[in-house]
Amino acid sequence: MKFIQKIFDSKRKHFVKGGRFEKFYPLFEAFETFFFIPGNVTKNDAHVRDSLDLKRLMSMVIVSLIPPLFFGIYNSGYQSNLASGLPVTFIAVFIKGLQIVLPIIIVSYGVGFAWEVLFASIRKHNISEGFLVTGLLFPLTLPPTIPLWQVALGISFGVIFGKEIFGGTGRNFLNPALTGRAFLFFAYPMKMTGDTVWTVVSGVNYQGVDTFSGATPLAVSAVQGTSAFIESLLSKAGFTLPKLFYGLYPGSIGGTSTFMCLLGALLLVFTGIASYRIMIGGILGVLVAAYPGYIVSLVSGNSTVPMLSLPPFYHLVMGGFAFGITYMATDPVSAPGMNVSKWIYGFAIGALTVLIRIFNPAFPEGIMLAILFMNLFSPLLDHFEIHFRLKKRVPNV
Amino acid sequence: MTSIRIRKGYDINIDGPPSFDVEKLEKPTRVALLPGRIPFIKPRLKVKVDDQVNVGSPVFEDKRNPDFIFLSPGGGRVSKIDYGPRRIIKEIVITLDQDEGYETFPIINEAQVEDIEREALVQKLTTGGLWPLFRELPFRNIPNPQSLPPSIIISLGSKEPFQPLPEVYLKDKIDLFEFGIKILNKLTETIFISASPGNNFVPDRLNTHVTHTCEGVYPADDPGVLLYYIKKHPDENRSWYINGQDVLLLAMLFKTGKYPVDRTVVLGGSLARERKHFQTRMGVPLNHITKGRADDAGTARYIVGGIFKGYTGSQDSYMGFYETSLVLIPEGDEKEFFGFARPGFNKPSRSRTFLSFFNKSSMAMDCNCHGEVRACINCGFCAEVCPVDILPQFTYKSILADEIEEALNHGLLDCVECCLCTYVCPSKIELRNILKETKKAYFLEQL
Repeated sequence: MKFIQKIFDSKRKHFVKGGRFEKFYPLFEAFETFFFIPGNVTKNDAHVRDSLDLKRLMSMVIVSLIPPLFFGIYNSGYQSNLASGLPVTFIAVFIKGLQIVLPIIIVSYGVGFAWEVLFASIRKHNISEGFLVTGLLFPLTLPPTIPLWQVALGISFGVIFGKEIFGGTGRNFLNPALTGRAFLFFAYPMKMTGDTVWTVVSGVNYQGVDTFSGATPLAVSAVQGTSAFIESLLSKAGFTLPKLFYGLYPGSIGGTSTFMCLLGALLLVFTGIASYRIMIGGILGVLVAAYPGYIVSLVSGNSTVPMLSLPPFYHLVMGGFAFGITYMATDPVSAPGMNVSKWIYGFAIGALTVLIRIFNPAFPEGIMLAILFMNLFSPLLDHFEIHFRLKKRVPNV
Repeated sequence: MTSIRIRKGYDINIDGPPSFDVEKLEKPTRVALLPGRIPFIKPRLKVKVDDQVNVGSPVFEDKRNPDFIFLSPGGGRVSKIDYGPRRIIKEIVITLDQDEGYETFPIINEAQVEDIEREALVQKLTTGGLWPLFRELPFRNIPNPQSLPPSIIISLGSKEPFQPLPEVYLKDKIDLFEFGIKILNKLTETIFISASPGNNFVPDRLNTHVTHTCEGVYPADDPGVLLYYIKKHPDENRSWYINGQDVLLLAMLFKTGKYPVDRTVVLGGSLARERKHFQTRMGVPLNHITKGRADDAGTARYIVGGIFKGYTGSQDSYMGFYETSLVLIPEGDEKEFFGFARPGFNKPSRSRTFLSFFNKSSMAMDCNCHGEVRACINCGFCAEVCPVDILPQFTYKSILADEIEEALNHGLLDCVECCLCTYVCPSKIELRNILKETKKAYFLEQL
């Protein structure tokens, strides 16, 4: 501890004004404050301050991401070993998962952090801890087979165009991690969607086979031209409700397990960091949007849109909805700040997700676009709610 | 009596509350006036170094409004006039004589107050040097004596840690307090007196005067918060307020014919060993209060006037005209290794991100910021605590964008300057300071 402090103290002179690396002071500051809460004291009013700072706040988000992260590592390894015919013991699977996921996370953090340092150095502000979350959220939304150069490209796009060109943390109106993912999704659809991207195949038994085809539950549900009830179709493909809930099936790295997201959501709501209004609003939105179609298809017994006959609660456990509504929609910067707006925002995300899933055959999954779309509306929602709220005030001008 | 529940606010769970005991301090060797701590005035000195003054002799007045006269809190020799940066008068120190001389003011008894004209009463208060005890909302300036306030609010609260408790300063002084209310009745038609509920210390006699009980956490006792909850019309915004203890001074002036300098002050905070109330006088040196009663006085921060709203003093400084509280807490300028990753059983926080959430005992706090300044992430914690429903996270952004009109619409002027937004901000933005400075600039523009 003293030893680390000495290292920082001896190197400080290079980074402060007049030093050799004066420009990179934000980098120095980021590392130093990682190790030490600085000794800066209040200057005047509010002589005491809350112990919570942004680093703590963001670390709580990271902690809440641990369940989906570890499950994602396990699941990627499990699916890979299963498809490759390798042993599926816990250790083997976990090591395999680490081999798949760790490089993606390292690239995401490394490249994104480099951009953060660059912008912070030029803009002369400190590096915000928000990136710790962005840099981990982004890889968890990707398929395990993603090429690393695409990870680098995606996080670069997300950080630069999702955040930095608008002024950096706190001024972005889109969620940077989702912006990066959306970029990859539209620029490299072959690597982001389809039946073959969700499982990494390796090993001697499958020489010559470099992809493994496994449809995601959403893809199964969206199959056209069938009149059978999707529920049984899904079960036939192995996607029972418990399996969908626990998430041991091919999919994006962190997004398959609703259960793990639920654990993270509970921590986020308990600590008061993420808004329960957005999460519950999202769930309500899904159910409200999905039930009318479901009832119609039940009554008519036949439907040209097979997804309509899917029981609505399946929408909650399929695809990336749970992950998106827990971690992406609740990003305080791109979500509205007012309470009623948060309900509307969450509700609209849920409803849009279902509408995209059901009616848009081009996109099997809708949560990413729904969140980005509602990100655009959150300033407007805030504007109107503040407007109505101010009307109630006795003016004081 | 109306009871009001203040919905928002926050009580910090800080260690070191003062006891109810009162000790009478001996006479200090010197006292001081601190013109720099009186808001919105431009002092013009009426004394020079080495002048002889009595208790109640004029020491300085406001250049803009010469009715605001500030009188000497002691009899003796003006030993030092200390200037700060840009020739701000920081301190006027008076070394006290053994036998202090007193200026005399007309004695007015309770019966006479009933008959006196308002102008005459105002004039007696201004020459008696007590007019600056009144403050006008929303800017908290000293009100113009010619103006008529819509109401005067007296707050008998002590929610900010640590303020003199009304049960202590009102003890055996109910008569005096009632006299004070009679004086105020001449100034305005409406007087609001707010107290916390369950104040069983308050004798029934006083309870008849209390118009509102404000239930809630800090700053439920603030006059601005009460006004925000009860006002129906914009005209009421310019209400005045006066501290509960200061009402006693008004009565003392009329009753004794002398400039009242007695104050009940409080010493609190984790570094103060004897934490209790003291009967002393206005402008007393801080080390006169702390002498022998504080640990580790070298590294302590001296907070004069309350943990949230007070200012930083030092061993060598003095109590101001308004302040009645002295808190000693550690400066806390040490670095903390891996601070953000600790479970934090002893880290006080309003959020539930530390284990301290389960720790209900009071915690020692220091002046460390517990983090570096970052960009606002719109977490909304400030709006959750703002007692007057301002949205500081939006209001401060409109201020930074120079949209003052919008900030005013947001209720900027309702801000009671309670500092809770600054306290809770995880990005460590000085929200209250930004709001307060904007208010100040707006006020000065209107002069």
